[in-house]
Amino acid sequence: MTDQRTPGMSTVPQTAPVLTDSTSLAVEMDPVEYTLRKRLPRKLPKRRNDVYVNMKTDFRAQLARCQKLLEGGGHREICVHGLGLAINRAINIALQLQASSQGVLQLAANTSTVELVDDLEPEDPDEASEPMTRTRNNSAIHIKVFYPDPQ
Amino acid sequence: MKMSAAKVKMRGKKMRNQPSSVQYVESSTQNGGGGDEGPSSIHPSTKRPTNTNQRGGWVRGHQKDGGGYSREMPKYITAGAFARARAAEVNTMLKAVTKTTGSCHVFGALPKHMRRRAMSHNTKRLPCRLREVANRMREKSLQAGPKKKKEQAKSKSRKARRRHGNLLMEFNRRQRKNVWLETHIWHAKRFHMVKKWGYCLGNRPTYKCYRSCHRAMSSHCLLQDLSYYCCIELQGEENKLLASLSELTSKETGPTFAAALCLSGRRQGSVVVYRAGQYPAQPLGPVTFLWRPRSQDLTNRQLWIWAHPTIKQDLLLELQKVCQCCDAVVHPVVTPAEVFPSLQLEPKPEKNSDGKKITKTKRKLKFKDANGPPAKKVLGDGTRSPNIPVTWKSSSKGIVINDLTMEIVRYRLIGPQSCSVLAETMEAATVCNEINESKPSLWWPEQCRSKNKMNLHQQQTHVFNILKGIFSTGELPSGTVLGLTVDDPRLTLPTKKVKALPCVKHAQEVDEERRELILQGVPELCCQSNLWEQSVRNNVTDNKTSEQELNRMRNEVLVPGSRLSLTPPQGRVPILLVQQPGKQVGNEMSSWGAGWDLLLPKGWGMAFWVPLVYRGVRIGGLNMGVKHSQNKGAPHFPHDYPDCPSGVRFQEEQEAELLAKFKRSAKTRAEKEPKMRPPAKRTNYIKHGCLAPFGCPWQQLSEEWELISREGGEEGRRDCQSTAEADAVMEEMTSCGEIAETKPLSRFIVLRNRKSLRLLSGWCRPTTSKGQKSCRVGELPPLDSSAMTGFLTAHRMSLVWVRLSLLCKGKPELHAMVCVPTAEDLKLLKKKRGSCGPQEPLHRDYFKSRVRRRKKEPKKAAESSWCSDNTQGKESVFSSEPNSITTVDPKSSSSDIILGLWPDPLPSITSHCSRVTLGWVTQGDFSLSAGCGEALGFISVTALLKTLFNQPMEHRGVFLLRNPTSLHYRFAKINIEV
Repeated sequence: MTDQRTPGMSTVPQTAPVLTDSTSLAVEMDPVEYTLRKRLPRKLPKRRNDVYVNMKTDFRAQLARCQKLLEGGGHREICVHGLGLAINRAINIALQLQASSQGVLQLAANTSTVELVDDLEPEDPDEASEPMTRTRNNSAIHIKVFYPDPQ
Repeated sequence: MKMSAAKVKMRGKKMRNQPSSVQYVESSTQNGGGGDEGPSSIHPSTKRPTNTNQRGGWVRGHQKDGGGYSREMPKYITAGAFARARAAEVNTMLKAVTKTTGSCHVFGALPKHMRRRAMSHNTKRLPCRLREVANRMREKSLQAGPKKKKEQAKSKSRKARRRHGNLLMEFNRRQRKNVWLETHIWHAKRFHMVKKWGYCLGNRPTYKCYRSCHRAMSSHCLLQDLSYYCCIELQGEENKLLASLSELTSKETGPTFAAALCLSGRRQGSVVVYRAGQYPAQPLGPVTFLWRPRSQDLTNRQLWIWAHPTIKQDLLLELQKVCQCCDAVVHPVVTPAEVFPSLQLEPKPEKNSDGKKITKTKRKLKFKDANGPPAKKVLGDGTRSPNIPVTWKSSSKGIVINDLTMEIVRYRLIGPQSCSVLAETMEAATVCNEINESKPSLWWPEQCRSKNKMNLHQQQTHVFNILKGIFSTGELPSGTVLGLTVDDPRLTLPTKKVKALPCVKHAQEVDEERRELILQGVPELCCQSNLWEQSVRNNVTDNKTSEQELNRMRNEVLVPGSRLSLTPPQGRVPILLVQQPGKQVGNEMSSWGAGWDLLLPKGWGMAFWVPLVYRGVRIGGLNMGVKHSQNKGAPHFPHDYPDCPSGVRFQEEQEAELLAKFKRSAKTRAEKEPKMRPPAKRTNYIKHGCLAPFGCPWQQLSEEWELISREGGEEGRRDCQSTAEADAVMEEMTSCGEIAETKPLSRFIVLRNRKSLRLLSGWCRPTTSKGQKSCRVGELPPLDSSAMTGFLTAHRMSLVWVRLSLLCKGKPELHAMVCVPTAEDLKLLKKKRGSCGPQEPLHRDYFKSRVRRRKKEPKKAAESSWCSDNTQGKESVFSSEPNSITTVDPKSSSSDIILGLWPDPLPSITSHCSRVTLGWVTQGDFSLSAGCGEALGFISVTALLKTLFNQPMEHRGVFLLRNPTSLHYRFAKINIEV
C-alpha cells in the first residue's frame, strides 16, 4: 500500500517524540534534534484487480482506470484500497463507479489498520544517541466493487 | 509543383549525370508533344519555353495543367522532322539508361533486392556479369588508397589461439593496462565496453533496454557489477582509529565514521572525506564504510572503506598520513596471482629503462618457460606488480592499512524485489559433518565442529529466511548488514531463466519476526561474517570447484537435468549482504531504487553472477548507475563533485571529449571522412549566447557572484527590487571591477554543511516535483537581509547542489544554464500556468568574420590583432585571471578560433545573456520516475540567496533553464534536498 501523504522525510526537528517502540523503551529523551524519515508502508503482492489509490495521481485518471478494469478488463470485481488521507478518495471512487453503473455494481467496504514505521535519525550523529524507530498506526479502507452474481 | 529544399537537392544529385532535357531543340517551335509545325504551333511555342525552364528536366507524375500536351491534335506531321525529334529522344533515353545514378559502385546497377551485405568487399557476392568490373574497380581503389595496411604478423592458427592456456595468456596480456573484472567476458559479449579508471567496464548494453532497465529498478531488480570499487581495510584499536579518521571528516556534513550505529557494525555508513584537517576545502570524495562487528576474541577493530578507484590513491595517502602508517610491509599475502608472477606485467622500471624490444623478447622467453606450469587465470588485482606494497603498518599507533582492491567482488542489486532474487538464488550453507581426511584444509568442515559458530550460522540462516518474506527492499532499515554462509549457487541453477517473485506467507509468528526485523534491523551478532577473515577468503578462493568438475558431476547424475544433491565440501561461500538505501531525500518516491549489495570473495564472481542472471534480473552498465543516482536524488561520484580532484579531472575529460566531437565535425569536412557533420547542423554557441557549452567554469562563476555581492554591499543597503536592477549592478561591476585584484579569492567549495543546507532548502519553498503542492517546513528564520548577509559571510565562494524540475515542457541537457527570471517572466507565469517561458534574443557572432578572414589569408600575426581589439570593456576584468582553474580547454586558446565557440578569455558569465546566469546543470534528462524533465546542477549560493530575496513569496524558487543548443527558457522549480 502506498502512503498517500507523501511518504518520505520531513525536515521538522522533532523534539522528544513519543516512543512506542516494540520493546517499549519508555525512556525520556533529551531534546536532541531528530530528523523524521517515514519508511514505506509494507507492500503485499498485488493482483491485477487491486487498485491502490493515492493523492498524487489525478482523480479522473484513477477513476478511469477502475472503470477500464471493470468494463474492458473483464474483471467481475475490483478492490480499491486507500490509506490515510486517501480513504476519502477511495470511497469517492467507489461511489462514482457505482453511480455511473446505474446501480448494477455493489460495494463492500472493509476497514483495517496499517502499521507504519518511522525512523528518527539524530541530527548530531556522534552523541552516541542511537537512531530510533517508532511505529504508528493509520487507517485504511478496502472497498470491493463487484457485479453481483446473476442468481 | 512544390518540392522541399532537401528533395530538390537529392534530385539534383541524382540527375547530375543525366541529360537535362529530352527535348529536341533544333527548331524553336518543337515540343515534346507532337513535333507540330504550322498554324497550330502558336499556342505551344508561347507557353512551353517558360514551363520547361522551370522544370528543368523530367518531372514525375501527371501534371495538373495538362503537362503541356497540346489539346488540339496536329493537322499534319512532317515525317523527317518528326523522326529526328524521336531519334533525339531515344538517344537521350538510351544515354540515361546506361548511366548509373548516384554512386559509382558496380552494384549500384543492381536492383535493391539483389544487393548483398559486404558486396564491395567480396566480389563473389555479385552476379557473374558484374564481377569483372567490380574486381577492376576494387583493384583501383586499393591502389589509390593512401594508407597501406601494415602487413600483419603471422598469427597462430585459430585452433592454437583458442587453446585454453594460450587463451588465458592472451587474456592476461590484454588486461595488463586496464584490469578486467571477473564478469568481463560475460559483459564484453553484451555490452559496449569502455576503458575507465584503469578498468574495462561495461557502459551500456548493446541491446535497447533503457526503459526496461528503469522498470526493473522501480519494480523488479537490476544487477550491476561494482567490483571496480576499491576496498581499503583498516585494522587497529577503535579509539585510535576513530581519532585518526576524525581528521578526514566533519560532523557538519552528517554522520561520520564514529556514528554509533555504524560503529557497532550493524549498518553501513557513508561519508564525504576531506584532506586531513582541511574541511570545508579540498574534499576527496564520498566513501562508504563498514565496521566489523565486535567479537570477544578480537581486540582490534576492522574497518572497510569502499572508495571509487579515482580517489583511491589520494585516500590511501591521506589515510597513511593520519594513521602515521608509512612502513610498507612487503609480501604480506600470497595471492594466487602472485604465485605466477611470470605471467604478470613486467616490472615497470625494467620496461622503462630497456627498450621495448628487449622486453618483448624477454616476455616471449618467459612465456616459453611458462609452458611448464599452465597459465593461470588472474584473480584479484593481477596486474599489480608484486613489488608494490599493499599493506602499511604504523609502529606508533598500531594501525594496519590493507589495500584490498579486487580482493572482494561487489554486486549491486537495485530494485524492490532484490530480496526475492537473493533469496531464490542463494541457500544457506548446509552443515557438513563428514571429516574428509584427504582435504584437511577446508574451512567449512572446521567451522562445523565449533558449536558457537554453528549457532551463529543458524541464527543468520533464520534471519535470511525471514528476509524471503519481505516484499520490498525499502521496508528494511537503510544500510542493514547481514553476514551469511551460502552454498555454491551453481548447484541450484535452474535449467531455464525464471523470474524471481516474492512469496509472502501469512503466519502469525513469521509476521512477528518480520516486524521485529523491519523495526530493529539485523541483530548485531548476525552481522558477523567469515568474509572478514583473510584466511577464509583465500581458502574459499583457492578451493573453488571448477566449472569442469561441476559439469562432470552434472553428467553423473542419474536423471539428467535434476538437481545436484550433494554439495561438495568446498562449496560454501561466506558472503555479506548490505542494504543500500533508496531515495532518502525529497518528498516523493521515497526509497526508490533501494537494493542490496552482495559482497563475495574473489574468484567467485561468475559463480554468483550467472545464477543471479538466471533469476530474471536486468543487467545495467555504468550509464544505468548514473541514471540510478539521478533518479534517486543522490550525487553521482565523479560527475557531481566538481570540487574534488577527480571531479575536476572528470570535467576536463568530458570537456575535451565534447570539444573533440565538436571539432571533429569541422575537421572531417576537410578530410572527407565518412562521419561528416555539415556546418549547418552544428550549433553556433556564440549566437545562442552560450559561453561554455562543454564545461562549466565554476571558479569564474563564484568569483563573479562574489564580486556582485560585494558591490551590492558597498552600494548601500537599498534592496534592488528586481533583477533588472541587479543587471545594472552587474554593469557597474564590469566597468569598475578592479576590486577583484585587491583580495585574492579562494577556490570555490561545494556547500555540504547540513544545517546550512536545511536552511537554504526551507528558504527555497520546497514543493512537490512539478511545483504543485508546497510541503510543510518547520519553523525557519525568515529570509531577511540580516539573515542573508549572515549566511553569505559564513559561506563565501560556495556552490550548492540543487535539483530542478521543469514546470511544464522541456528536457534539460548537460550544461544547461540556470537563470533568474525577470519580473515580467514571473508575471507571465502567473497569468498562465503552462506558459512556456521567454526567449533569448539571438546573439551576434563577432568572430565569424574573423574566422572567415583567417581561413582566406594564410594565418599569420592576425591573431594578435583581434585578440587585443576585442578584449575591451567587459572582458578586461577576467582576461587578467591566470589562476582560474576551470577555464576552457587550452586547445581552444587564441591560436585557433573555432567557429561557434567563444575563444578563451570568457566575458562575464553572469550577465552575458538577457537573464542572469546562476549556474549550470551537470545532469539532466527526462525523469521516468517523476514524469517531467529533471536536472541536477550547481548554482552559486550568493546568487541563489540574492534571487530568492528579491522574488515574491509565491514564486520563490522558480528559475529558468536554458539548454545550450536552444534559445528557449523554461520555467523550473528549484529544490534543495537534504
